[in-house]
Amino acid sequence: MRVGEILNKVFLIEIFKGLALTLRMLFSKTVTIQYPSQKRKVHEGFRGRHALVRDPFSGNDKCIGCMRCTTVCPSKCIHIKREKTENKMVVIDYIIDASRCIYCAYCVEACPVCALVLTEDYEYSSYRREGLVFNKEKLLKNWDDFAKRWHKDFYFNKFWQPPGIDPSRWPKTKREQAPIPLRRVVEIKREVTDESDGS
Amino acid sequence: MNLENTKELIINMGPQHPATHGVLRLVLEVEGEVIKRCIPYIGYLHRGVEKLSEDLTYVQSLPLTDRLDYLSSMVNNVGFCIAVEKLMGIEVPLRAKFIRTILSEMARICSHLVWIATHALDIGAMTVFLYAMRDREKLLELFEMVTGARLTVSYPRVGGVRCDINEEFINELSDFINKFPERVEEYETLIDKNRVWLKRTKGVGVITAEEAINWGLTGPTLRGSGVYYDVRKFFPYDAYDMVDFEVPIGKNGDIYDRYKCRMLEFRQSARIIKQCIEKLPEGAILAEESPKIRMPSSPLKIDKNDIQFEIYVEDRNIEDFIKKFTDVYASVEAPRGELGFYIVCDDSAKPYRMRVRAPSFVHAGVLPKLCEGALIADVIANIGSIDIVLGECDR
Repeated sequence: MRVGEILNKVFLIEIFKGLALTLRMLFSKTVTIQYPSQKRKVHEGFRGRHALVRDPFSGNDKCIGCMRCTTVCPSKCIHIKREKTENKMVVIDYIIDASRCIYCAYCVEACPVCALVLTEDYEYSSYRREGLVFNKEKLLKNWDDFAKRWHKDFYFNKFWQPPGIDPSRWPKTKREQAPIPLRRVVEIKREVTDESDGS
Repeated sequence: MNLENTKELIINMGPQHPATHGVLRLVLEVEGEVIKRCIPYIGYLHRGVEKLSEDLTYVQSLPLTDRLDYLSSMVNNVGFCIAVEKLMGIEVPLRAKFIRTILSEMARICSHLVWIATHALDIGAMTVFLYAMRDREKLLELFEMVTGARLTVSYPRVGGVRCDINEEFINELSDFINKFPERVEEYETLIDKNRVWLKRTKGVGVITAEEAINWGLTGPTLRGSGVYYDVRKFFPYDAYDMVDFEVPIGKNGDIYDRYKCRMLEFRQSARIIKQCIEKLPEGAILAEESPKIRMPSSPLKIDKNDIQFEIYVEDRNIEDFIKKFTDVYASVEAPRGELGFYIVCDDSAKPYRMRVRAPSFVHAGVLPKLCEGALIADVIANIGSIDIVLGECDR
């Protein structure tokens, strides 16, 4: 034992063991991702940049101005400007301050019409503070940007239909929320009109 | 040498010092290389989480707890949820308990990986940092897959968890967990017997068992001194009483023993996750009576009352299950120690007062004890060994 210890001390055995490991690692599979040129696939349901879903049929946002998202937001970063005209609520502007947002997606869960979504985009840093305050046009543009890049034809966010609550108690729009088509809208539109014509 | 001209020098260390793991500021009175006095200053990361939560409902306060100990946000969330569940008398479904346990242990591994990475980097072992970060990356990806976020997960819910885990996640996790003990051995190959590491850690920053208890230390910092205390064993929560694991304890209470404890905890965490995956039952992931989003039958019906603080409580009057001015304390074993939430509530849906018993705060207090009489270089090793996160310390 003593001899072993002395040998260890003289020949730096433990240091060489460590060095052998690092040498072995030199020939193992590389794990580094060269970020700006290579990108890791983001998992579905990642809570990233905000967007208002553009309804593929009407081409407009779906927000009804119920103020649920503003109420549930823990950081109070959602501001809705709305007006009541002819007994109907009209959303004039919808502002999300992304620099205040804590990305909990409670707003997405609370939205009764699935109008709001935290998309899987994550590259949206800005040099100016105004770049992180999204108004309605910006939010819709965020959705378009996201839709262009998303690798599937349909999109469904897992936070739209939170578990634990009986689906029969959800509002109809939330319950019947189908995956949103991102491309081939024209084709789908045609199919729908054909069906309605047929019936 | 003229001794009359020697005098004490005051050195300011931090808050931007990279080795203070955040924004800890230490004022050191040194005589030569020896520290005479050490005063930690905290509060540079104070965000008023306790006060903020008085203004938010219980469910809304949950994402705030992510930001306490941002390296293991899952455990913070679980701690808060357990406290609120105790308050409301909600029984969590079994599947949710197991999922929480799995993710808590993942968070523990994540947090300890950051600890070993930065602690070894402070002391001078660069390679460990790279290897630990490589493995942490995989875990963060798994977190992203389930929870939708890498760091601030906000995953548990009062009464369960937010979304279910799928087969893909379980497969990838068990792949990782099966390989993980080998990875821990890799780190140990690099530093466990390394003479530089031993010189820097053995016999440095010693705290005896009795002192450790008196200082209120918990977690691996306490267990390194040889005290057998673990919230998971003593006051089991979630699924910890249904799995088999050991609590590693040290002997001497120096930095090396604390390091050893955490290294053994890696293996125990892996063991817990493995057992949880085997035993994972089917069933609901959210209790029936948990507070939920209020969902009106018609989306266009705008009710003024909806936007009051009851929004997350459905079908029940909050006064029914929160008695006036009751208080509750629940604690969990966070990677750093015992994380406790003390909530006093009144008849509203918001906490009257929430107090967080943060292990880092207590541990920061023991720094002068560890540092006084030691060398300047040992301060770094001491800060690393008690493993504080200033987000939790300042709250």
